[in-house]
Amino acid sequence: MGKLKLAVGVAGALAVGVASLSALAAENIRIGLIEPLSGPIAAIGSEALDNFNHAADRVNARGGVLGGRKLEIIGLDNAMKAEKTTEQLKKAVDMGLSYVIQGVGSNHALNIIKFLDKHNKRNPGKEIVFLNHSAVTTAFTNELCSFWHFRFDANVDMKVAALVTQISRDPGVEKLYLLNQNYAYGKSFQAAANKLLKERATDVELVGDELIVPFGKVLDFTPYIAKIKASGADTVLTGNWGPDLHRFVKGAVDSGLGATFYTVYGGIPSSIGGYGDAGKKVNLKQVTEMHENQDGLPEDLRDYMKSYIEAYESTWYPDRYRWLIEQLAAAIDAAGTADPIPVAGKLEGMTFPGPLGEVKMRADDHQMQMPLVVSTLTSDVPKHLIYKGKDFGIGFKTDGVVERADTTLPTSCQMDRPG
Amino acid sequence: MEVFAFSLFNGILYGMLLFMLASGLTLIFSMMGVLNFAHASFFMLGAYLAYQISAYVGFWPGLVVAPLIVGVIGAAVERWGLRPVHKFGHVAELLFTFGLAFVIEEVVQLIWGKVPMPYDIPASMNFAAFSWQGLDYSAYRLFMLVISVAIFAALFLFIAKTRIGLIIQAALTQPNIVSALGHDVPRIFMWTFGFGCALAGLAGVIGGNVLGTEPAMAITLGPIVFVVIVIGGLGSLWGALVAALFIGIVDNLAISYDLSFYPLFAVFGVERDVTGIMQDLVRLTTASIAPVLPYFLLVLILIVRPRGLFGTRDV
Repeated sequence: MGKLKLAVGVAGALAVGVASLSALAAENIRIGLIEPLSGPIAAIGSEALDNFNHAADRVNARGGVLGGRKLEIIGLDNAMKAEKTTEQLKKAVDMGLSYVIQGVGSNHALNIIKFLDKHNKRNPGKEIVFLNHSAVTTAFTNELCSFWHFRFDANVDMKVAALVTQISRDPGVEKLYLLNQNYAYGKSFQAAANKLLKERATDVELVGDELIVPFGKVLDFTPYIAKIKASGADTVLTGNWGPDLHRFVKGAVDSGLGATFYTVYGGIPSSIGGYGDAGKKVNLKQVTEMHENQDGLPEDLRDYMKSYIEAYESTWYPDRYRWLIEQLAAAIDAAGTADPIPVAGKLEGMTFPGPLGEVKMRADDHQMQMPLVVSTLTSDVPKHLIYKGKDFGIGFKTDGVVERADTTLPTSCQMDRPG
Repeated sequence: MEVFAFSLFNGILYGMLLFMLASGLTLIFSMMGVLNFAHASFFMLGAYLAYQISAYVGFWPGLVVAPLIVGVIGAAVERWGLRPVHKFGHVAELLFTFGLAFVIEEVVQLIWGKVPMPYDIPASMNFAAFSWQGLDYSAYRLFMLVISVAIFAALFLFIAKTRIGLIIQAALTQPNIVSALGHDVPRIFMWTFGFGCALAGLAGVIGGNVLGTEPAMAITLGPIVFVVIVIGGLGSLWGALVAALFIGIVDNLAISYDLSFYPLFAVFGVERDVTGIMQDLVRLTTASIAPVLPYFLLVLILIVRPRGLFGTRDV
């Protein structure tokens, strides 16, 4: 009788053990995506959710990670409010997540970095790693750098470096006007441009350097455009985005300014809707990690773009989102676990075959090093930008690729590593 | 001098645009005493409707139809929304319109989505009418100016010179007597509110393609129209006109002349290349703060003359 009980007990325990083991194998690796999914700029957040879902679906379709576990993206709405970002982080902690993704708004990213620095120190075994897809404040990988933060986008200085390098190659640029938004991002753009223009484009004359009150406060750009005209500038270099860029471009086209615009965010789908007709008339350039009319894109990327447009009726635009998910999956497989610390260790120094060549997550500061491409908005291209089934009638044409060596900048990061 | 005249001209163009944006708001306030927080949302609705109509049948039908639709929606809002809360006083009305603003914004985003709409100025007026200082001025900008002036003239004549204008004005202060004289006061209010909303819609049709038809438009435009009517004096049509022009001209002059505030600090012996907290203050110029100057002016006016430039009652 005693023996039988024991045998039943052992069998039961074994059964439970096997069951929990298989449950573990099937359990999804959940990744929180903290973005504005409601409010006036929800378009950006919900699009990011689509993008990451698609990237995760592709990994899952080929068998997931760790021999069958799936990646699952969980949308956490911060409504673009700082206090809600903190609230959603706490929710991520309660849900036991090990990874959060965010990128819209550097102020929110900073919030996350500071929160995790504290949380991870106080809660060993429950660490969370922050995968930053678009928050570009350079300081996050310089003086504010953190072991828990990985940035997959080029930072402001790198983007400006690419733009300035292309400007130095453009024979049409003689007189340049800087116009930026007066807040942390715009000012760091301005500082980087001033520094890099002196280093890389010595024959370009800087004829104006202006900061405007940001976020749609400027209704009428006429006085600024008049000043640009009076300065004799042939080119404008701006980090503006949203209405501050749309109204600027519309006003410039309407006034017949005729200057070339070098921008960071000039080509994002929501901008192109914002220009309306002016988008076809303006000579506008953007800097990105990829665009679909670039020659020699890798085969797997072209296949990926095709699957994305079939699933969402939109052009694949932010390729770094794909790298982020692919690299996370590769790091989890390489570490043999989904625990964040070993995975973070594997992410350091990891390379990936990007659209323009190899990209590398620099271990020193967790800043992805990558080639960038400067392209012009034009209707004279084979593939037009499509967004939610709507063809804008314009797409991008490469002006020049800026190699990784030219976008790689030194870092001042002194990283504290756990353990 | 040329620069001054040029800035003055640009300032008038911008000021008249501001006036057009604020005209419906000041009308509703002067006639009904209701501060319509949803004004910018009606403006947004007008712009989106105009975009949709112009996509099918062109700009001109939109110019007529979109304000009509917005006006009817406004009248309906007054009849079934504002009228029941009227008896609880102005605070209740204020809170009602405050909530309404969010409802309209969300509905607009539900229908048209969350990306900017490519609403363009009509091709028939998209040519340079003239150039000055190397800048082209499209026929459409002159059209905007003409419409703004026409709105002012029509409102002025309507309120001051017509019988119905006098009745509406009387209904605000003496509703019982006006009612006793056989006028249907609630109905007058309903059409007045509808008319004010239609003006917001009209401003949306005309301004939406210049300022951008996008989800954040109501939020970014809301504050400035309030500044215009508070500086001008709540409910004063002349005040709104003068304030709008003043803001437009000050904005243009501040950006064109771009004076530094450094001399103010130099008096206190601050060095130009100072570091620390003073660093940003020393570098301030009038251009860098131009769009917030109206808000400074607002605070100043509220301290010095709470009823605004031409107002007849305090805020």
